[in-house]
Amino acid sequence: MDILVDKSPRKGAKTRLTLFLILAGILVVLSVIAPKLAPNDPYEISSANINAAPSAQYPMGTDRLGRCVFSRVLMGARTSIFSAVALVAITFVIGSLLGMASGWYGGIVDTLIMRFADILLAFPQMVLAIAVAGILGGGMFNAMLAMGITGWTIYARLARAQVLALKREAFVDAARLSGCSSLAIMFRTLLPNMLGPMIVNASIQIGSMMVGIAGLSFLGIGINEPQAEWGSMINNSRAYIQLAPWAVLGPAIATIITVMIFNYLGDCVRDVMDVEAGE
Amino acid sequence: MAKYIGKRMIHLVGIMIALSFLTFLLMYLAPGDPAVKKLNAQGIAVSPEVLEAVRKEMGLDRPFFVQYGDWALKVLRGDLGESYKDGLSVADKLAKALGYTAQLALGSMLISLLISLPLGMLTALKKDSWLDYVIRFFTFFGNSMPNFLISVLLMYFLCVKARLLPVVADRSLKGLLLPAVALSVPMCSRFIRQFRAEILEQLSRSYVSGAVTRGVRSRYILFRNVLHNASISILTIVSLTLGSLFGGSVVVETIFRWPGLGKLAMDSITYRDYPVIQGFVLFTAVVYVMVNLFTDIAYHWIDPRVRED
Amino acid sequence: MKKLLALMIVLVLALSLAACGKKEEDGTPEPEAKILRIAESFAYASLDAHKDYHGWYTSIYGMTETLFKIGNDLSVQPLLATKAETSEDGLTWTITLDPKAKFSNGKAVTADMVIRNLQRVGEVNDSYHDVSAYVFTKIDDTTFTITTDSVYPTLLTDKLASSAFGIMDLDSGDLDNAPVCTGPFKAKSFEPEGTVEVEKNENYWNGTVKLDGVVFEYMSNDESKLMAMQSGEIDGYSSVTAAAKQIYEADSSRYKLTVIPATRLQFYVLNKNTLSDNVRKAINLTVDCQDIADYLGGTTSPAVGPFGASAPYGQVTKPAVDTAAAEAALQADGYTKNSDGMYEKNGKPLTIKVCYYSARSLDTIATILERQFKAVGIGVELVGTEDADSTYRVTGDYDLALYCMIADKSGDPYYCINALYRKNGDWALAGFANDECEALIDELKGETDINRRAELANQIVQMTIDDNAFGYIGLFNKTTVSAPSVVNIGENSPFDFYAVNADTDK
Repeated sequence: MDILVDKSPRKGAKTRLTLFLILAGILVVLSVIAPKLAPNDPYEISSANINAAPSAQYPMGTDRLGRCVFSRVLMGARTSIFSAVALVAITFVIGSLLGMASGWYGGIVDTLIMRFADILLAFPQMVLAIAVAGILGGGMFNAMLAMGITGWTIYARLARAQVLALKREAFVDAARLSGCSSLAIMFRTLLPNMLGPMIVNASIQIGSMMVGIAGLSFLGIGINEPQAEWGSMINNSRAYIQLAPWAVLGPAIATIITVMIFNYLGDCVRDVMDVEAGE
Repeated sequence: MAKYIGKRMIHLVGIMIALSFLTFLLMYLAPGDPAVKKLNAQGIAVSPEVLEAVRKEMGLDRPFFVQYGDWALKVLRGDLGESYKDGLSVADKLAKALGYTAQLALGSMLISLLISLPLGMLTALKKDSWLDYVIRFFTFFGNSMPNFLISVLLMYFLCVKARLLPVVADRSLKGLLLPAVALSVPMCSRFIRQFRAEILEQLSRSYVSGAVTRGVRSRYILFRNVLHNASISILTIVSLTLGSLFGGSVVVETIFRWPGLGKLAMDSITYRDYPVIQGFVLFTAVVYVMVNLFTDIAYHWIDPRVRED
Repeated sequence: MKKLLALMIVLVLALSLAACGKKEEDGTPEPEAKILRIAESFAYASLDAHKDYHGWYTSIYGMTETLFKIGNDLSVQPLLATKAETSEDGLTWTITLDPKAKFSNGKAVTADMVIRNLQRVGEVNDSYHDVSAYVFTKIDDTTFTITTDSVYPTLLTDKLASSAFGIMDLDSGDLDNAPVCTGPFKAKSFEPEGTVEVEKNENYWNGTVKLDGVVFEYMSNDESKLMAMQSGEIDGYSSVTAAAKQIYEADSSRYKLTVIPATRLQFYVLNKNTLSDNVRKAINLTVDCQDIADYLGGTTSPAVGPFGASAPYGQVTKPAVDTAAAEAALQADGYTKNSDGMYEKNGKPLTIKVCYYSARSLDTIATILERQFKAVGIGVELVGTEDADSTYRVTGDYDLALYCMIADKSGDPYYCINALYRKNGDWALAGFANDECEALIDELKGETDINRRAELANQIVQMTIDDNAFGYIGLFNKTTVSAPSVVNIGENSPFDFYAVNADTDK
């Protein structure tokens, strides 16, 4: 068994990164210009076309209210992609910063941050989500808030664990001895070393967030009909999975492809960083 | 260590007070009246007089702090109270649901670990091979399916089409299988990715190349050093996941009619059954702190580097 | 690694312990036993019929019976009692019990026991505290009287036939887990909020029970019920969804589908404080109930008023959908169409706030209403909440409030009329307060003649229609599916609380 092979960075990491960046870019552009691409009005209902199979007019068929699934998937891209990416970005930054500070400084800073995280993390997410939805009402922003309140803690904990483990490494001691400030060590020395696993985690979280927001709609909170959003589309059509599978599969496949692109993107980021670390 | 555990216990009390208060406040602020819920259970209109009487009987007409204080005093005497919905003891309800949730949590965790530990290792070692690509594809796939879709698909294909398992599952191991699998699909997908990343991270550390240069056998390095060092992160991931599993999974429990904590919590929230919600929140706080305690103790056990903290 | 392995071994052990800890009682029936398996959407923690809504379920389970029952045609029929007579002043009822009636333990159903049962409901059930004020007098073993303080023509349907008044033997058995009752089935095993098994009552007083037992599986998820039906693990259930209904319809050799009109009403309230007469008129002329029923796949029927059109008290009319007339009404109010095709007045577009909650297809109706309104040029702001009862129903913050309730729970209009149209009623904050209507409701309350009651009810409901204060959208059908051979599982009763009886068979 040759375990050293694995150290060598993947060849063409940068090419792949470019490829998936372009794919992700296409997704973002698509979501922006979606209204122009939609062949039908995504909100137009029609009792004559309930659960119609895919056809030239309706490329992905129609749902239980006779709405064009394809147009709704296109329209839903904006809501679904934007909300998940924004949510992960915000929670990632906040969580990582707090986690690093916590791990590096220790003491009272650590106690305060981690106890706060503890309280939020110990909070059953469902109770929190339903309370948020109940107090503030449903809708996209509140669903994001419900997910985000606890979302940052996972990054904080991971960052803290990484910092704790790295803190004792020789290169950190070296940096400290060479007179670098705490902030410099945290951002120049520690951050690059811990970013790999954290970004992999964040890329997975984009998917989890999309799926999580979809889960909220199963519980009857989160995004309301008739707004086109993939999670609520899947949820509202799931009863028809045997009759009109396209109404579920359309948004489901869109979700899967999007999540995969972001996962692959995270992977490539990691590979590229490996290459750079190797150099 | 005893002192450390003692400190954590005090910490637990703090969290429980903060959480119980926050929950009470949140539920108090959220619209929804337990008396209305109770009376409206079957969609029958209630007269305002009846409603007032019931609110009074349930103590809902009292000010917020009185309600909370009353509840907190009772808890201090070891009494979690009775459910608004059916008058059963909250402790009994939680204990019963916990039993089912524990089976589901352990079952799905076991399945996930059995699959993802070897696959995580394999994909790290065979990095960039076709095997790595295929497995990665499936992990991404599994990770992007909403839980209810996995559950409904599993049920449709395994129970209705193939008739391998019953839809109306009893509470046996056979009945446990399907919900456990449904829960473990996304879990495996996450684990494999995370384990792979962690092992790769370790493999790229200087001690590995150092040991190889010194002529230490690969197998030895892998099992003695790499896995050993990776196990910190793996344990963190596993224990955090286990902790969240112990809160129950509403979706899977509802679809597979598994009477666990998730279902109980969801029902209690829908019914605004404050005593049960409170009991549930306290319980998850205990689980959370315990899981973390266990994780930290395991850290100390496995990695002497953190022992000094 | 060893430590991880150790951890996993601990997990395996813990799991097997957890699994072994719960010994499964082997419920294998005798090979020839005829056991019916039914799925139910609710399950309670107790079988005590008198408390909360448990009576619905003990009645569904075939365990409890009431003094009277409501027939499929909504008429009051004798059950444990053979007749009820009122005194001249209408205050005293004389009830005669069926001398054959007995509990599953063989004890006769006596006037004493029945009186104790009725009094107990008044004590323990929050919705029936008024029963405590009644005076009960035993005449002999099978006859007793009930005296109320005011004339109460609907005593039989509201109270004695209500499932909360199921008769139990209060002196024996565990009322919560295994009450002794008079029904064709008796409790065999009871898992609180879970599976309930009942077995044949060998002592049944009112005929021979055909089945050996029934198992009621608690399944709240609609897809699970559908799949359990498809795999043949259950024999039937009611409240079939539109999606499942279509699947069953496609295979009539395997599934028997029964659809009958029932009494759960989808309606909306128009806020008279925020909407002018003409806007409300325009709204009611726009809403197309037939269209909505089409979208809901035959699970509902379009409604004219709150009651089924076949009931004598369901004889009301409403104008047909007429979008041109709707637009004319808006224009009469000074609204003009802007460049987007939407009506506006003084530069302010006409937008109505539609509130709904996500149950009983109300969310779907809200979506459809939005399109129907938009088509005539009325803008809509959709506000979905988890719970109407503590939000818009009590705050009055809506223009159009969607709601769903059982309009007719016992074959009489008073309950619904009293709840909906009273000056101090639930929806009074929407501004529907009508002295004439109030007087008619008071008259209805004490009216004993059944024809006059229907006449009054029709008059009252017609008023709410003419005033455009309410809009009646649909009445849910009771949709029951079963295996082809199954009969008598309540599929022909419009009420949810009747299911199995002595004639149920598979």
